This record gives sequence, C-alpha cells and structure tokens, in this order.
Amino acid sequence: MKLNWNELTKGIFKENPVFIIVLGLCPVLGVSTQVSNAIGMSAGVLFVLLFSNLLISALRNFIPASIHIPAYIVIIASLVTITEMVMHAFVPAVYSALGVYLPLIVVNCIILGRAEAFAARNTVIDSILDAIGMSIGFALGLTLIAVIRELLGNGTITLFAMGGFDGVIRVPWFYNNPMRVMSLAPGALLLMGYLKAFFDWKGARKKEA
Amino acid sequence: MTKNIRYALILLAICGVAVFFLALTNSITAPVIEEMDHQNRLKALEAVSGGFEIGEQEVVDGQPYVTYRIDLSEGGNAAGWILGLKSAGYGGEMTLVASYTPDGVMQYAQLLGHSETPGLGKKAEESWYMEKFKNTGGQQPVPTSKAMLSADDAQAISGSSVTFTAIARAIAGGSDYVKSLGGAQ
Repeated sequence: MKLNWNELTKGIFKENPVFIIVLGLCPVLGVSTQVSNAIGMSAGVLFVLLFSNLLISALRNFIPASIHIPAYIVIIASLVTITEMVMHAFVPAVYSALGVYLPLIVVNCIILGRAEAFAARNTVIDSILDAIGMSIGFALGLTLIAVIRELLGNGTITLFAMGGFDGVIRVPWFYNNPMRVMSLAPGALLLMGYLKAFFDWKGARKKEA
Repeated sequence: MTKNIRYALILLAICGVAVFFLALTNSITAPVIEEMDHQNRLKALEAVSGGFEIGEQEVVDGQPYVTYRIDLSEGGNAAGWILGLKSAGYGGEMTLVASYTPDGVMQYAQLLGHSETPGLGKKAEESWYMEKFKNTGGQQPVPTSKAMLSADDAQAISGSSVTFTAIARAIAGGSDYVKSLGGAQ
C-alpha cells in the first residue's frame, strides 16, 4: 500500500488551516492567550479531527448525501463530548484552561470542513493523513500566535506544571513591560492580520519565483 | 416514504453507536470527576475557613445568590460563616465559596465552577482576583463596578466586566445574607 504523503504535508504549510485556508479562527483567537491553552486545544482538535475523518471516510458509502450533515454532526459532537469527558477526568488543568472552547470544537470549521471536503470523498488512509497534517498545521499556527501573544502581552510562556516547575517561564524585560492589548481580543486580531499578510506575501513570492 | 424510513434508521444506528461510546466513556470518567470535585470543594472550604472549625452544611432556600451555609467556630464560639454562592457570569452559572465574619465582612473567597472565557473572565480563578473583595461588605462596600476599584485593579479586570460584576454581586449578596442573620449563630 502506497501512502500519499502529500495529504499529510499539505496541511502543515501549503494549505495551513489557520494562515492559508483561514478555518477555525474563533478558537484560535480565543484560546491563544496562553501557550498551554494552545497545546491543549491542538490535542483536542487532533483527536476529534483524526477520528471524525476516519469514521466519516469509513462510512462514506453508508451515509446518504441527503442526511450527511446531521450524521457528521452526531459523529463530531460525540467525539468532542468524549474528548471533554476524558480531559475533565484525567487532565483537569487543561480542561479548565480551555473552558468553553473545548465543546465549541463541535462547530470548528476545520472539523466539518475536512469531513465535507476530504473525508467524505477519499480513502480512510488518506483521510487519516489529511487529519494528522491539518492538525499539525493547526497546532503550529495556534502555538505561534499563542507564543507571540503571551510573550508580548504578559512576558511569560505558560507550559504545564511539573514537579518543582510551576509551568510558567518569565521572560526578562517582556515580563516587566507587557503590552496588555496583546492579551485582549484586539491584539489577537491585529496579530492574526500581520501573520496572514506575512504568509500571503511569502506565498506570492514563491509563486513569482 | 421507504427512503425516509431508511434515512431515519441510518441516523438511528449512528446515534445508537454514539450513545454506546458516550455511555462507556461516562461510566469510566464520571466517578473520577465526582471524586475530583469533592476533593476540590474540601480544599476550597479549608482555604476560605481561615483556620476556624468548619461546621455542618445547611441548604439555604429562597436567596438569589446563597445556596448553602456552613458555620465557622473557634473553641465553641461563633466565628463566622462560609457561604456557597452562585451567580451568572459571561459563560453561564458560576459557583463560589466565601467566608464572612458574623457581621458580614468578606474574608476569603474562591471560585469553584464556571465556564468563563480563558484569558478574560477565567482570571477570576486566580487568588489575587478575590483580594479585591477582602474585608468588604462591612463598613467598606463590596466593589460592584469598575469605578469602585483602583486604576490598577480596574486594569486587571479589563475585558471581564461581566465576570467581575457577577462575582461582586454574589459576594455582596452573601454579605447581606450574613447581616440578615443578625450576627447570631
């Protein structure tokens, strides 16, 4: 069996869901106040996207076109609820940090978008590769935004507490001179605009070359 | 007609499988969550008790913010109350516990459950947040608006006014309730 590696790599750069396809921006802007939130959200999206793509691709000949949306929503909502229950029980800190954005994965455009545009028309293996690639691309985009926002907005990088480490890296100078606007919604939109412009410019340069 | 029945059966089958896996996950996670919530509540009560002895919990009915009360004592003498409070934040219901002196002055408070937005209302979980309300409710009123806070404190709650107001109203409601008890226990 030959693996189509392009399905995996396209989601990371060429069709990055955050900067190129511009999907799932609501949670990206909402949870990117801390790096730990970004990592937790990325893990949740990876689980849901992987299994929704897998199930929808496996059931694509069983689900009639006229009822595909309710069927997909039931599958996605169930996966999100399972993720929510597991996180609540076993990683309560991440569950608590993600708050309302965790159940909102149900309506994340990336999940339904990939189900509709890819999993419903491709093989299970390709759909799994697509889900992994898109999840990595989403995680990279979200983490990049979170690192910049938290660093500029709070002067910290928040990871997960372990042993004697409280999980927070305080970055000198930035910690004493925070740009509070970066922690707020306008800062998120501003940064997203600059990063989108940067990635568009990079894309345009590549095409010209 | 036959087509519609087939569609309904397909959806029913998908829902049935979904329900099975949800029930299975719930049976594994629910006891863990319940135990964790119980431990968190005990920790919160201990944290807000201020070292006093914690009495028995009594349900409070007919109050807009207070759901239960627990008496605090020291060597058999009444030392105050711990109240279970609820309020409506930006993300829905918020629950907190707060301790008061017998004359209604808020001593310690801690957020127990909420769905506030990460990075904004969720800041209320942090210990510094509740410091704004410490020793209020007596001669010093509970700050229920940004205008009643210092510039630094107002800046710190920026972006979470709904959460702040909800907590402030619950704490003020708790203070009023304790005062209505007349200081006697």
